[in-house]
Amino acid sequence: MQYTSASVEQLVEEFSQLPGIGKKTALRLALYILKMPRERVASFSAALTNVKEKVRYCSICSNITENDPCIICSNPKRNRFVICVVEEPNDVLALEKTNEYSGLYHVLGGALSPLDNVGPEDLKVKELLARINDSLEEIILAMNPNVEGETTTMYLSRLLKPMGMKISRIARGLPIGSDLEFADEATLSRALEGRVAL
Amino acid sequence: MKIASAQLRNFRNHTETELEFKTAANALLGENGQGKTNVLEALSYLCLTKSFYAANDGTVVQQGKDFFDVRGTLLLDHGTEQTIRVSYDAAVNRRRYFVGEKEIVTFSSVIGKYPIVILSPENSSITFGTPADRRKFIDLTISQSSKVYIDDALEYRRTLRQRNKILSEAARKKMLTAADKASLEPWTEALVTRGAKIILKRAQFLREFAPYVSDAYAAIVEDGEAPATAYEPQIACSPDDSAAAVEERYRRMLEEKRADEIKTGASLVGPHRDEIAFSLNGLRLRTYSSQGQHKTFLVGLKIAEFFYLKERCSETPVFLLDDVFSELDDPRSTRLVGFIENLAQTFITATSESVFRNALQWNDERQKIFIRNGAPVSEREMITA
Ligand SMILES: Nc1ncnc2c1ncn2[C@@H]1O[C@H](COP(=O)(O)OP(=O)(O)O)[C@@H](O)[C@H]1O
Ligand SMILES: [Mg+2]
Ligand SMILES: [Zn+2]
Repeated sequence: MQYTSASVEQLVEEFSQLPGIGKKTALRLALYILKMPRERVASFSAALTNVKEKVRYCSICSNITENDPCIICSNPKRNRFVICVVEEPNDVLALEKTNEYSGLYHVLGGALSPLDNVGPEDLKVKELLARINDSLEEIILAMNPNVEGETTTMYLSRLLKPMGMKISRIARGLPIGSDLEFADEATLSRALEGRVAL
Repeated sequence: MKIASAQLRNFRNHTETELEFKTAANALLGENGQGKTNVLEALSYLCLTKSFYAANDGTVVQQGKDFFDVRGTLLLDHGTEQTIRVSYDAAVNRRRYFVGEKEIVTFSSVIGKYPIVILSPENSSITFGTPADRRKFIDLTISQSSKVYIDDALEYRRTLRQRNKILSEAARKKMLTAADKASLEPWTEALVTRGAKIILKRAQFLREFAPYVSDAYAAIVEDGEAPATAYEPQIACSPDDSAAAVEERYRRMLEEKRADEIKTGASLVGPHRDEIAFSLNGLRLRTYSSQGQHKTFLVGLKIAEFFYLKERCSETPVFLLDDVFSELDDPRSTRLVGFIENLAQTFITATSESVFRNALQWNDERQKIFIRNGAPVSEREMITA
């Protein structure tokens, strides 16, 4: 394919880097942007720069936030004796939607997966260990129910067990191979209720 | 379970084939290359969601067409009818499976529901081939009766891939860095826990399966040859071991092989290296050269599989026998057909009726279906052709 505009070509290139977007869709998006009013394009591009400039990781739980600590970590009403460990920020959103959980979170930033070049050092494990103190009563491991999530659960439970607090995992009520993100709220609530000690 | 009918559209050389089946024997007759095996393959799609040999659905679509479609009616043991539809769209490379109106998205949930036992020329690798061929045979048999085993086996395979990634990096660098070591540890533990489950399940399966093989042999062979199927796992295991005991042995062997694993860049210990030993009268089947003995052993395994599944699945399995006469032209195979079609609904392909040597009486329960050039034809058309 030969482009008649280098700018369009560059934009198509950028779009096609995004997950789930192929060359064809990228071209459609680029042409759509070309037709958008100037102000909307400006606000779109500002939004892109803002996420990078304003959004950072909470120094306590590693979730994404604009204020450090994040609104969950700094909320005095949350139960500070329980930490729920999840893989990604969207898992926090999914669990918050259930309104069943009032404790704190810890976002690992993924799960162990050598095929994706993710080892223990690439996850926020040190940060999790740093949060453990005598008043902490329970850690809930809420990884995705796939091989990588399960292996991360096994790894963390072996690491945390000697430290004395109760360790539980959300029950395998979730269909195997499904992501936490796609589970419906009822399933998630049930999984939370049915958590089992490790 | 019985298969009452099937319709094939754009399925290999079948453009539009409609077939009604009898409850005992259905002999598919015709010259080579006319489309008999293709009918069995379509039945495999209906019952297992997939082909029993084609690795990719694209090759099954009739040349020049962009989809295939197989419909069928199953008559379940307790009397209800179930309509099944499998369709494949080449443009999006997507296969869909429907039971009645309901689409089944998770294909693995169908495994074991409509059990079939297949004996085809490809199966000769079970006795002649590599340990991997034998592992595949027992894994498929266990899978048809245990969904948990399928999940465990898939998880083990994925864990193996993850762990091998770290080892292959180490092999490339000719060392295991501190970071690699930290990465490897949780995957070693995962391999041990998941692998031990597979090993124990296989040990338990082979203990249960052995008497079925002896019984099957006794039914089809008169000269009293004694068959044996023994599990030879790389990590010693007896069916009554605790998971913890197997895990401990597994861990220790992995430690012993650590240096070799880093050298070769792959996991060297686990159920992916198991062997299943077949023997006759105490001698390894491998050491027998006779085609006939191999073939008989294979048939024995398949009949054992039938009884094993019959007792564990909710439905009586259906037999698909493809070309069983082509290699074996002795009276055993004739007797065999008579024996099998008394057990369950049976589909048998053959080039000529004469191979049955009158073992089958054509009646309300037994029929001949003549296939020519991808379509059923009448016996008269067949003779006058
Ligand atoms: N995708 C396809 N499209 C059209 N014809 C096919 C396709 N795949 C296989 N065939 C044809 O099917 C025939 C083989 O059918 P098969 O059922 O194996 O024969 P047999 O009667 O010997 O068992 C061959 O003539 C082959 O050319
Ligand atoms: Mg054939
Ligand atoms: Zn926070």
